[in-house]
Amino acid sequence: MRFELEVVVHGFIYGSAGVSFSILICNHGVCFSSRSLPTLQLISSAIRRCICSERLCRLSVLLQRSPASDPPLVRISISDTGHGSCIQEFQDLKCPVEGILAETWDGIVYVRTTKIADISDTEISCYQLNLKENVATRKPMWLPSNIKHDVKFSGTEVCLSVSESVDVLLAEINCFFHQILILKVPNIAMEVVADGQDTSGSRNDAVFLENLFSGSSFTASTLDRLKLGFEDYVLGHGSSSTCNSCFPNRDELKSGGGMVCEDKHKLTKLVVEAAVVISEISNPTKNCFGAGCSDTKVLFFKDFVPCTISEAFLKALTGIDWKRHGLTLECAINQRRHALLKWEKTPLSFHIHIVVHYYQKLVANATPLVQQTRLDKKLISKAVQLALEDFKNKHAGFLLSVDNLKISRFAPDLAKAIAGLVLYSNDMDFKRECLAILGLQPHQSEGEVVEETIKKKIISVIEKNDQRPQGIKEVACLLFRAGRQKLQDLDNECYMDDFDPMDL
Amino acid sequence: MEPAGLFESSMRFFSDQELCYADILTPQEVVARIQIAVLNFLRILNSSSPAISNLPLIDRRSSNSRVSQGILTDDSWIFLSHSFCTRSLMRPNASKAFVRVWKLMEMCSQILIQDKRVTQRELFYKLLCDSPAYFSTQLHVNRTIQDVVALLQCSRYSLGIMASSRGLVAGRLLLQEPEQEVVDCTACGSSGYPISGDLDLLKMLTLKTDARYIIVIEKHAIFQRLADDRVFNHIPSILITAKGYPDLATRYFLHKIGKTFPHLPMFGLVDWNPAGLAILCTFKYGSIGMGLEAYRYACNVKWLGVRGDDLQLIPQESLVPLKPRDLQIAKSLMSSKILQENYRQELTLMVERGQKAELEALYHNGFDYLEKYIVKKIIQFSYI
Repeated sequence: MRFELEVVVHGFIYGSAGVSFSILICNHGVCFSSRSLPTLQLISSAIRRCICSERLCRLSVLLQRSPASDPPLVRISISDTGHGSCIQEFQDLKCPVEGILAETWDGIVYVRTTKIADISDTEISCYQLNLKENVATRKPMWLPSNIKHDVKFSGTEVCLSVSESVDVLLAEINCFFHQILILKVPNIAMEVVADGQDTSGSRNDAVFLENLFSGSSFTASTLDRLKLGFEDYVLGHGSSSTCNSCFPNRDELKSGGGMVCEDKHKLTKLVVEAAVVISEISNPTKNCFGAGCSDTKVLFFKDFVPCTISEAFLKALTGIDWKRHGLTLECAINQRRHALLKWEKTPLSFHIHIVVHYYQKLVANATPLVQQTRLDKKLISKAVQLALEDFKNKHAGFLLSVDNLKISRFAPDLAKAIAGLVLYSNDMDFKRECLAILGLQPHQSEGEVVEETIKKKIISVIEKNDQRPQGIKEVACLLFRAGRQKLQDLDNECYMDDFDPMDL
Repeated sequence: MEPAGLFESSMRFFSDQELCYADILTPQEVVARIQIAVLNFLRILNSSSPAISNLPLIDRRSSNSRVSQGILTDDSWIFLSHSFCTRSLMRPNASKAFVRVWKLMEMCSQILIQDKRVTQRELFYKLLCDSPAYFSTQLHVNRTIQDVVALLQCSRYSLGIMASSRGLVAGRLLLQEPEQEVVDCTACGSSGYPISGDLDLLKMLTLKTDARYIIVIEKHAIFQRLADDRVFNHIPSILITAKGYPDLATRYFLHKIGKTFPHLPMFGLVDWNPAGLAILCTFKYGSIGMGLEAYRYACNVKWLGVRGDDLQLIPQESLVPLKPRDLQIAKSLMSSKILQENYRQELTLMVERGQKAELEALYHNGFDYLEKYIVKKIIQFSYI
């Protein structure tokens, strides 16, 4: 494995595609602790560098135990074959080093990198930085550079040593990567390797990640990849294998997506994508969510990495017109790694899962610095709304607005009254004409066929109207007389006066 | 006459073009209209652009009310014009009212096909059992009936629905139903002869009278007192009451008497308060609520008493303060287009004084005073 890693650094291979991976099941309930924060931040930077390069890249995370040291240390190496990095990326990195982290890590990172976008440069720069120092006073300590030996490649390796259990680090890194899989970034092959010896003997764990190198991954839009990736994530509750208890049938899962973008600057375009996945609850008492639990977790990605939830993000979620989709929001709770939406009038007969990805799309070959992307709440709300509308357009009858849900409850009684008017009539011509309009045969006037047919058509109209964000189409025509007509809305409240003896 | 006044008075010739009214139809004709409504609904539901069509109803709000003023007479009455509004399923607060209309049409269709008649009360109980979620009060039924009248533009009676009448008649009137005994309304005692709710029956009554006046009385107690005292023999008259707010049958009957005996003046005896005036005006002009039908039954009833200049006959203690409800009715009356100026002045006086008085207050002058009061008023032409 180490040899492989050396090959990656010193003899970069373009097109490291075609390697297949699988993944260990990780504990999807694990929250990222402050211990792994610097590692995850550095992995995030590596991911961004790979995305910016717009070519096939490899990202490797290697965990090497050295139990012989006192205290036992784990050397973490994060290497990627994306853009090279610039020193500012690490100089500006804000990494709160306090609490437990202060005791387990000295703050030092070792960086080896090629120049950005200059694969023909012959040198690999090396330096170390102390991330515990203030950003303002942080200065690199330059180390002897390496020579590329006539091989053209670009990439970065960042190393740090922490005093921490490999298992804890591995679990958190796996969980992190599992979330990254939601985005189904097609141009990065990712691997996580744990290597080294511990007191129980040598141990060599290889944890691989899923390969996405198929034609469709490259041609699909980021939004389509987000939807697909999120579906897979939901199916496995965040692990690689589908939970058959909750999802005996993949078709029970339905999704919708929405995207908004805004041209912010010359070099970048702000894009917000949202995906909504809804799973019907086949067995209310036996599912992993817990009986009667209808809460919705909302995951948030910013610039291709999972992001903690902020107040602005929560406000964006509470600003959505949920009633338009048949939901009444009780509250939105910040649970750091996701937002939790609690609904009124639960339990619902389905589970809603939402993911939002907010990123700057580089329109020119700009440097992949950590983006100071300020959250635009309106864009987030709009993206989620569009995802919900897309969902409703594809799956009629779902997420009917609160108003249309109310109206649809009258459909059976209305259908019964009209069917009664048709069937009770002793005028055969009238009956035949009504049945013909409904597309029914005369023998179908028995039983409840007429009533059911009318009811289905009424509900279908209500559902179609629900998909129409611009409002309901209303039709009324004079029945008996031609002539002047002024159709106004009749407000039922007009007739609710309890005393109006003088109607003049 | 200045141009504006000439325009207005000439427009009186054309007011009938604005008139929107409920037809009096046979059961088969009503059923045919219901069928049109059903076919229209189903066609639109199954069209290439399906929709749930709204129900167009004649607008029964004051904005659609018009006043017809007699060209050669002082008679005025209210009618509704051709302005429509809609009942829609697609508005969540109005969906129930929409379904009520269809449910009532279904019920009426069954009644008409069976060639039956039901009262509003019977209909209420039927609907209460059938659809308790939709018809939990009589008011729901009554209002929905008016919706169906406004939709199908046919009279309530044509739908097979009879309103029970509260009206009573006593005095110098002989009534005869076809092939029945003649009824002498002087011999009906203090309770009088009850006016039927069946308009067909009322239509077929033969009337004979030697009365000189028709007295329309607001309250049952006053009617009973006058009937008991056989006032109609001392003042040759017909006494009629609806025991409060006039129902359609009583108005129809009064109108029939007026048409049969056009030379008999009609006088109204009501309390001196906004509600009493409202009752008088309903007999006189008709109402918006029943505007599609009741425009036909307006009668030229003149206000005999109690009026402002009678207050001297009433002790101060009998004058009681107006309540908020009285002021509400007064406001509604004031805003109507049809209220004549002298009635408006009376109403203003009530509101300015903040007081009202009942007819019974006249008894302060003796239990037989009311008869003397009526005689004096008539002789002095003291009516407006």
